[in-house]
Amino acid sequence: MARSTTTTRSSPRHPCESGKKLICRPRQPARAAAWTLATLLVALLLPAVSAAREYLQLFVAEPYLELHTGPGRGYPVFHVVPRDESVDVLFRRTDWFKVRTEHGVEGWAAQRDMLKTVLADGSPFKFELGDLAGFSSHRFELGVFAGEYGGANLISTYWSVSLNPQLAVEAAAGQFLGRFANGETGDLGFAHVISPDTRWSPLLLLGVGIAHIEPKGTLVTPANRTEQTAYVGGGIRYYLTRRFFMRAEYKAHYIFTKRNENEAADEWKLGFGFFF
Amino acid sequence: METGIRVLLLTAALALLPGCATVRGWFHGKHGGASSETQTASAAAPGAAGADEATPPRVIEPQVERRQIKVPRIKSSNVELGLFYGALSIEDFGTNADYGITAAYHITEDFFFQGEAGRSRAGRTSFETLGGNIQLLTEAERRFTYYDLSLGYNFLPGEAFLGRGVAMTSAFYLLGGFGATKFAGDTKFTVNFGGGYRVVPTDWMALHVTVQDHVFQSSLLGVTKLTSNLEARMGATVFF
Repeated sequence: MARSTTTTRSSPRHPCESGKKLICRPRQPARAAAWTLATLLVALLLPAVSAAREYLQLFVAEPYLELHTGPGRGYPVFHVVPRDESVDVLFRRTDWFKVRTEHGVEGWAAQRDMLKTVLADGSPFKFELGDLAGFSSHRFELGVFAGEYGGANLISTYWSVSLNPQLAVEAAAGQFLGRFANGETGDLGFAHVISPDTRWSPLLLLGVGIAHIEPKGTLVTPANRTEQTAYVGGGIRYYLTRRFFMRAEYKAHYIFTKRNENEAADEWKLGFGFFF
Repeated sequence: METGIRVLLLTAALALLPGCATVRGWFHGKHGGASSETQTASAAAPGAAGADEATPPRVIEPQVERRQIKVPRIKSSNVELGLFYGALSIEDFGTNADYGITAAYHITEDFFFQGEAGRSRAGRTSFETLGGNIQLLTEAERRFTYYDLSLGYNFLPGEAFLGRGVAMTSAFYLLGGFGATKFAGDTKFTVNFGGGYRVVPTDWMALHVTVQDHVFQSSLLGVTKLTSNLEARMGATVFF
């Protein structure tokens, strides 16, 4: 059987790309907002247009490959692809792959079934799984927290880039809302993961940041101020399922003020994150 | 006598045979080498493999080109961006239109993470309406702006059917999260929870109907209380 690795299909081109000249009328100021919104909608509602896209071609090595009607375990199987036939992988959503058979039937194949398919040279199809191994070693993390910052409620989010399984650079942004002050915080630092290959993995945190503080006054309202900070802390991650984990952490912030005394603020937070 | 001769011959044979076995290449010519190899091959002695060093075996070079597999990147489509428009009931301030943007990341088939930001404008309280020209808030303070970060859980996945030919995947989802609301000159920590229904007519687009409550503590009207701000809205999102 002649086997090729990739197939190329053309997706429909947008009319604007056909080279026709578009007549532009001067926009009235009152309509500018509507035009902006319409442009945004068109940009959002049109899928990414590309002249040609290469799809990965995989061959069924098991007796058959089941195709579901939707990307979920509850959606029924409506088609099976027999052994040695091929499918084109269109795209992936969570743990499901949208594939197209040689006969043009499109359906969703589960990740665990796709692991049993092979490439054109007979080698197994390998891809990144969002499992405990991925939790131990991954590139990016994103998460959100709720907690407390110096006695105020805190909403926080963070982004992490792993340099290796044990060391990551993390950026965090937060907003704290309290009785006496509101404000925002931004941190940049390192996280050292002590035991990345276990379900419970402790962290050590060290970094610098800024804090913008807007005091709430009654009679005399102090001016807003932005201060530099440094923090040291620790935390723990607990792997839940798939790409998902819980994370709790504590940071001791030192706020370097322009006044005589520096300040300190404790940050406690609990949240969830995912890796990819 | 005979016994003595037998012992002599046997001793000679024992002395000669191992000696012969240690001698290679009785004849140094081409012919001789070949014959010795034939002998060692016929003897099939494993220790005689060193004899091949002189003439390496003929190896057939395969004329097959190894296929280079180039695996193209598989596009991931887990991010959902979109707009919404609906109605927000601001406690004590009536119901008004609200609009905003959402962004979601689908982590698994069950869970997704969603961030959203919206805006509305508060109306007049009953007190203001009855009291004539009393104004509790300025026009700028009536602007109601919020954002929240939520975790969503898909449940009851299914399909919605339009006639005989069209089937669209769908799911109900629960949402819960926290964020902040800026209203009446202050920003408050806000908890939001609710649910929605998502229909996916094509692979790249989804339609939503969502109902949520935004709860925060307010002391705007004299007493500190938890205010409940219900929101019902429709939205369209695009998968990337």
